[in-house]
Amino acid sequence: MWKYTEVLMDHFVNPRNVGAIENPDGHSEVGSPQCGDAMNLDIEIDENDRIADIRFRTFGCAGAIASASALTEMAKGLPVEEALKIKNSQIADFLGGMPPEKYHCSVMGQQALKSAVADFREKRGQVADTVDSLLSRFANLEIVKVHPRWVAVRGSSDDAEKFGKMLSEKLGRAIDVKRSGE
Amino acid sequence: MKRVYLDNNATTIIDPEVLEEMSPFLGEEYGNPSSFHTFGSSVMERISRARELVAALIGAHPDEIVFTSGGTESDNTALRGCSLLRGGPVVTTAVEHPAVLDTARQLGGPARIIGVDSMGMLDMQSFRHSLEGAAVASVMFANNETGTLMPVKEAAAASGEAGVPFHTDAVQAVGKVPVDVEELGLDMLSLSAHKFHGPKGIGALYIRRGFSLPPLLTGGHQEKGMRAGTYNSAGIIGLGKAAELAARHLSEEKRVAGLLASLENGLKASCPGAMIMAEGSPRLPNTSTVIFRGIESEAVLTLLDMRGVYASSGSACSTGSKDPSHVLMAMGLDHNLANSAVRFSLSRFTTPEEIEYTIRALSGIVERLRAISPFV
Repeated sequence: MWKYTEVLMDHFVNPRNVGAIENPDGHSEVGSPQCGDAMNLDIEIDENDRIADIRFRTFGCAGAIASASALTEMAKGLPVEEALKIKNSQIADFLGGMPPEKYHCSVMGQQALKSAVADFREKRGQVADTVDSLLSRFANLEIVKVHPRWVAVRGSSDDAEKFGKMLSEKLGRAIDVKRSGE
Repeated sequence: MKRVYLDNNATTIIDPEVLEEMSPFLGEEYGNPSSFHTFGSSVMERISRARELVAALIGAHPDEIVFTSGGTESDNTALRGCSLLRGGPVVTTAVEHPAVLDTARQLGGPARIIGVDSMGMLDMQSFRHSLEGAAVASVMFANNETGTLMPVKEAAAASGEAGVPFHTDAVQAVGKVPVDVEELGLDMLSLSAHKFHGPKGIGALYIRRGFSLPPLLTGGHQEKGMRAGTYNSAGIIGLGKAAELAARHLSEEKRVAGLLASLENGLKASCPGAMIMAEGSPRLPNTSTVIFRGIESEAVLTLLDMRGVYASSGSACSTGSKDPSHVLMAMGLDHNLANSAVRFSLSRFTTPEEIEYTIRALSGIVERLRAISPFV
């Protein structure tokens, strides 16, 4: 047996934030080439670019499962930019330390988060591109914020509704257009 | 907490009778068996008796037994001795214990490592074709991870025809299945006491009469010059007693096989995704490697450990190594499946209650870990 701390064992036996998010804003599937471990991560991002929800599934040892659980606890509620700064040494510290042979386990969680955020940005980029391509038809519509699942605008409710329909059609999924500041 | 020890291929409990037999030789009977005086030479009589008991267990003559420090030394003596004597590469299998595999790789040019099929069974045709000019051929009797019994008799005959000495690492087999060196036509065989309820740090190398080998350790004239170093009296006497008891209890292995079958059937019934390695192959009565698809074996072992059940795995994670079991990889498993393998190895001390407890514990553990797996 590895020398695992009580905190680590608690996160292994009772992992936090396990599961998946339906229609996640960011999704990733990563694997550790070093030991064959694998992890799926889903994130939900709120209008302030904070991680509102985060869920994981892991194939791996106690160290890998506990690291993933710890990462989700640390990242939850943080602005995306802040969450990306979480270092694997901080994950190890959060767990009260880890055997050196297990440091690579905590790296996988970081990669998963990085990749899920990249997926979030890509999805948002797709929406932004589509918004750009349609915007010329809506002279009185002003874009406030773009999100993978919604777009905030200033303008008439008629325009907003029409814009939402066209966006959803073009992207092949429902995009909610919300009127901002009212 | 309850303790269920299912890691008997790693090591076994010393039979209390063995311990009792050894005890005086760690205490008042401390004489050196090589000494002239009766205080020492009386110990030599007990060593001779132990030699007879070990020989009897494997159908050998007492003068064919050389005591060593265990399986690793026996394997090294056989392989290095043949290499020194004859030159040429070692022919062996991809699923050997590292004591054979790593030694083979170090000796006489590139080792000829023969693959196995998905049951862990030696590819006899490749084996036959690789013998020419070899220093020695070494094929394990039974695999430590899967329990697969190798076609040792056939391999020994093929080696004999090719004029290549034949060695078998029978560390996992001796004491669990009948082994008869003459019937099998072996030149050399390695065995280790602690795998069959004897002490650690003692084993033997069988060397067939008429087959001569240079020693690995030189120095004193112990073991007719075949193995220098003061006799490990207590260990040798313990090995002798363990051999005597193993011979007496060999028929009990049927009961062990029954327990293994109930473990395997129980796991297949209660753990979704459970699969037995080498299930259709002739196997040791005590060994089962179970793949729990979608979950990593170290996580299983850790949760089992918390419930007092001690098993093992060949996963990369549990050993801190980069790669999972070379045995399971040689049998064609991918990384993920090899990392999902848990080995259970029983002994004649295992009880039906322990098997039931293990099945119950595992079904909960597997369910729990599958719930957080990305693969199910």
